[in-house]
Amino acid sequence: MKEIIELSENTITIDRKEFLKVKGSIDTNIYYIESGSVRIFVLDEYDEQTIRFGYTDNVIVSLDSFMTGKPSDLFIQAIKKTIIKVVTKQQINKFLETESNKNLWIKILENLVIQQMEREIDILTSSPKQRYERVLKRSPQLFQEIPNRHIANYLRMSPETLSRLKKS
Amino acid sequence: MQSEKLIQTLLEQSRQIINRAESLKNHDLNTLTWKENEISWSILECLEHLNLYGDFYLPQIENEIKNSTAKTDIEFNSGILGNYFAKSMLPKENLNKMKTFKDKNPLNTKLDKSVIDRFINQQIKLLDLLNQSGNVSLNKVKIKTSISSFIKLKLGDTFQFLVNHIVRHLCQIDRIQVAMKKA
Repeated sequence: MKEIIELSENTITIDRKEFLKVKGSIDTNIYYIESGSVRIFVLDEYDEQTIRFGYTDNVIVSLDSFMTGKPSDLFIQAIKKTIIKVVTKQQINKFLETESNKNLWIKILENLVIQQMEREIDILTSSPKQRYERVLKRSPQLFQEIPNRHIANYLRMSPETLSRLKKS
Repeated sequence: MQSEKLIQTLLEQSRQIINRAESLKNHDLNTLTWKENEISWSILECLEHLNLYGDFYLPQIENEIKNSTAKTDIEFNSGILGNYFAKSMLPKENLNKMKTFKDKNPLNTKLDKSVIDRFINQQIKLLDLLNQSGNVSLNKVKIKTSISSFIKLKLGDTFQFLVNHIVRHLCQIDRIQVAMKKA
């Protein structure tokens, strides 16, 4: 991953609540979070549903748009002031011209697929307690970086339920 | 230009507009209601003016898109009048003051920070409508203007006109903030 982050020639700062991306836009960038935190969400009717977070040292991307070059429904919004290194798709394509880089990329994608499969099971788990425990085990750091109300939304429960589960 | 390109451009402009509005929320009420003189507008009055336009145009746009049977066009051709209106909204170098229609004049109405939230919600609605418009023809769907219901513009031109109008008043807000610093 480090090799990809090093490709960046552009660093941007977004303030709390600023949108990096809105629904319907095409966004083929890969973003590395140097500091701060963001959330990726979709609008379900008029309700926001967070599907992923990014905090210090994470990489975030609207993968659908990155891969297809088509519009994506994802919103990416800063939770707090965030400094981001931007890597463009053109830079990635150039990077992938080397065989060893291509292999690195495949490993990254394999990792992502596994993460998606875990997330799929999260969503299909009916017990809130188990949903909470799965994520706690997988990403304990999340609870240090992201406010409770956002984690609750991600876990598809009320903030009150999450508080209760954290105490027990 | 290509319809998809127009929509992408407007989406990006809307994203920047929302971000600007969010940053305005950080200011206190005194800053937001400051006026250079009796008849010039405060920041909140600028936004409320935009809200009044949104109130007129957004429901109509939503309706026309919902009821339209005209399928999407690959190419959007700006109408002569629509193009003129859209371009005339853009802030020019030597700012040209425009007259405001009486029913869209926010002067001296009681305003608070909820004006900003209302504005942001309208922009999110606009995002939604821009996305929905991908399914219909930006050329064939027509929207009545607030000037006269006999004057109708192409949907594509209406979107551009709306966004340019917002940009115009955001520039005005920039100038208000500069004037405030000097005062």
